[in-house]
Amino acid sequence: MIRSRALDICLLGMLLLSTGCVPVSKTTLRPGSPEDLPGCYAVFPTEPWESVHRLEASIRGGTSSLLGVTKGEPSDRRLQSLLLTPEGFILFDAERRESGIAVRKAVAPFDSPAFARGLMEDVALLFLPPSSKPAGWRKETDGTMVCEWEGPDDSRTEVKGSMDTGWRIQRRDGYGKEIKEIVLNGPFINGLASRVELRAFKPTSYKIRMTLIQPSP
Amino acid sequence: MHLDIFEKPSESLWVKEIKMKRILFLSVLVTTCLLSAAPALSQDWKSLKEAFGNIRSVKADFVQKRFLQILTKPLVSEGKLFFYIPDSLRWEYLSPLRNVMLQKGNTIQVYNFIEGKWKPEMTQAVEARRMVLAEISQWFQGRFNESKTFRQDYSPGPPARVTMVPGEGTNKFIQRIEIVLSKRPGVIDWVEIEEPGGSRTLIEFRHVEINSSFSSEVFEKP
Repeated sequence: MIRSRALDICLLGMLLLSTGCVPVSKTTLRPGSPEDLPGCYAVFPTEPWESVHRLEASIRGGTSSLLGVTKGEPSDRRLQSLLLTPEGFILFDAERRESGIAVRKAVAPFDSPAFARGLMEDVALLFLPPSSKPAGWRKETDGTMVCEWEGPDDSRTEVKGSMDTGWRIQRRDGYGKEIKEIVLNGPFINGLASRVELRAFKPTSYKIRMTLIQPSP
Repeated sequence: MHLDIFEKPSESLWVKEIKMKRILFLSVLVTTCLLSAAPALSQDWKSLKEAFGNIRSVKADFVQKRFLQILTKPLVSEGKLFFYIPDSLRWEYLSPLRNVMLQKGNTIQVYNFIEGKWKPEMTQAVEARRMVLAEISQWFQGRFNESKTFRQDYSPGPPARVTMVPGEGTNKFIQRIEIVLSKRPGVIDWVEIEEPGGSRTLIEFRHVEINSSFSSEVFEKP
C-alpha cells in the first residue's frame, strides 16, 4: 500500500514536471485587416534617428546612472549604442547588424559578451520590429493595436497600445513565460517615447528606466 | 547572432584609458578655472604662478558640450564647480545626469541622484577620481610648466590662449587642449579638448568667482 502511494506521488510529480515543460499554445491572434497592419509598426522608428537617454538601472539591488546614446538605421536593421559616464566618457560602444554584434569598446563592468548581447537585444526589442510579418493582429474599437509575432524557438513578441495611451512590448519564451517587458510612455517626440521602462525577468532580473533627453533629427 | 570584438586591446587598457581621460579632463577644468583668475593677460608662466599664489577659492558654473561622431548635435551638460585650497573640490553635474564628486583632504565620495535620492557610486570610478585629484594637486599650485603630462604654450594673442599638448602615451587619449581667454581679465571664452578619432569636448565657464566665501559643507554633503 505504502509502495503504491509512493508510486502515485512519484507519477504525480513527473506529471507536474512534464506539464511545466509543455510549450503553451501558439498565438491566439489571427491575421487581421490588412489596413490595420501598419499600426503594428507604429511604435518603432521608420526613419534614421539618434537619441540620448538618461538611464537608471537597477540590478541585484544596486543602482547606477548613465547616459545612453543610440543611433538607428531601420532600413538596414542597424543599431549603434553607447553608454557614457556623466563626464561623457565612453564605457561601452557596440553595433548590431543582421550579421551580428560588433563591440568597439567595453570597459569593466560592461565588458562581458553576455552583457553586450543582452544590451543589444534590449535595444533591438525597443527600437526594431521583429523581422518577420506578425502572425496575428487586431485593432480594438478604441484604436489600441494588439500584434503578435512568432520567433525562433517558439518565442513570441507582443506589441500592444497606441500613440495616445502608450505601448507595451512583451517577449515570451517557448513556454509562454515572460522574459522581458518594455513600457513606453509619451509624449512621443519624433516618434520616440519620452519615458521607457524595461524589465527583464529571465535569465537575469533587472530594470532600466530611460528618459529621453535629446531626440534627433 | 555572432559577436565580434573590434580593436581588442586588453581590458586593463580600456580601464586605464577611462581613468586617464578623467585625470586629464579634470586637470584641464581646474587649470582653466585657475587661469581664469589671472588678473591680466600679458603674463608669462612666472607671473601666472605668482597670481595663483593669491587664489584661495574658485566657484563657477559650467556648460559642457560633448561632440561625438555618433551624434549630429552635441551632448550638453551643465553644472557647478567649487574649489578651496589645498585639496577641497566639488564637481557637480546638474543636468542631464545629476552626479557629484566631493573631495575633502584624502576623502573622495561620488554620488548619483537616482529616484529622488543621492546614492553613493560603488564602481571603480571613485578610484579613478582619486587619481585625478593626485594629478591636479600640482596644478593648484600653479606648477603648469612642471607637468610631465603636458607641454604648455602661452600665447598673449589676442585672443590670449594656452595650448596644452600631451606627451607620448597620453596622446592616445587626448590630442590637444586649448584654453582661450577673454579680453576681460579673469574671464575665459572656452576650453576645447580634442581626442583621437574626432570626438571633442567644449567647456564654457560662467559666473566665475574668485576668493568668494561659501560653506565648507559643499565639500562634505551631496
